[in-house]
Amino acid sequence: MATINATIGISSDITGYGTTINNSMTMTKAGTIAGLDQATGLVRKTLTSTNEVDLLVVGAGVVADVTATKAAKLYIKNVNTDSSEFFTVGLGKSSGTATKQAFAVTADANRCVELGRLYSGDFLIIPWVAASDEHDVFVKPSVATTMVVEYQVFYE
Amino acid sequence: MATTTASLTITSNDLVGDALSLASSTQLNKAGTTIGLDQTTGMARVYLTATTQLDIFPVLPATPAGQNLQSWVYICNKSLDETEFITVSIGATTIGLLYAGDFMWMPWSQIAAKADIEIAPSTGAAAAGIHVDYTCMHQGITYPTSGD
Repeated sequence: MATINATIGISSDITGYGTTINNSMTMTKAGTIAGLDQATGLVRKTLTSTNEVDLLVVGAGVVADVTATKAAKLYIKNVNTDSSEFFTVGLGKSSGTATKQAFAVTADANRCVELGRLYSGDFLIIPWVAASDEHDVFVKPSVATTMVVEYQVFYE
Repeated sequence: MATTTASLTITSNDLVGDALSLASSTQLNKAGTTIGLDQTTGMARVYLTATTQLDIFPVLPATPAGQNLQSWVYICNKSLDETEFITVSIGATTIGLLYAGDFMWMPWSQIAAKADIEIAPSTGAAAAGIHVDYTCMHQGITYPTSGD
């Protein structure tokens, strides 16, 4: 059993009262206090087109063991420095018959939704449920010049 | 102009053969600029006692004010019971499950109607009652028009 700790800090003067968030979590297996014990390693990928690219495909590759009943944490970072360029990050099958941004449809293996956009230096950390094709993780560069994304999954 | 800084460290001494240490820090800016975000919902804490799925921010209309702008969402499950979780979704798509003490941090495009951020406590969490913290730092959100 491994111990993986994640600590987030957010400080802001958006309001006159100031905002500070400091929180830590230990990544655990679903419903237990046992730590996650597997990881993809930090992947660095260079993209040179605006095509959508699957970073993680449910049931395939190094994350084939991740299922809907297992815990996983996903970290993604845009390591570029141009503040106008971004990666769109989404969930769902990004190829074939995918219906992009089909938020209105009911559960559908072909659904493909946008979560948000990572501009230069931005990162995310989210839980990942690998239940079906609609949970594949994809990114879409905003420009066709070289953009670099880094990502890592911690899982059980 | 406001300045908001977000940082994240991930560490482990025993996951792999060598110690793992990953650190990131970024300024939260308006989309495509170096101008800081200037709006927030404030940090909310709710106590939930049902498994009902809830929108935690105002329901997105057909053309959300924050569409294609930048927003950041933080959610934390404050339970201390490792079996209690909340399911976090965007529209009809589940993002993942936050177990006791887990947090998440992600950008949110508010890209379309029904792209709402939703949470639903597990059966056990609802039965025991569960606290959840959440906030959104953003460039725009459509608040519902008063109905009275």
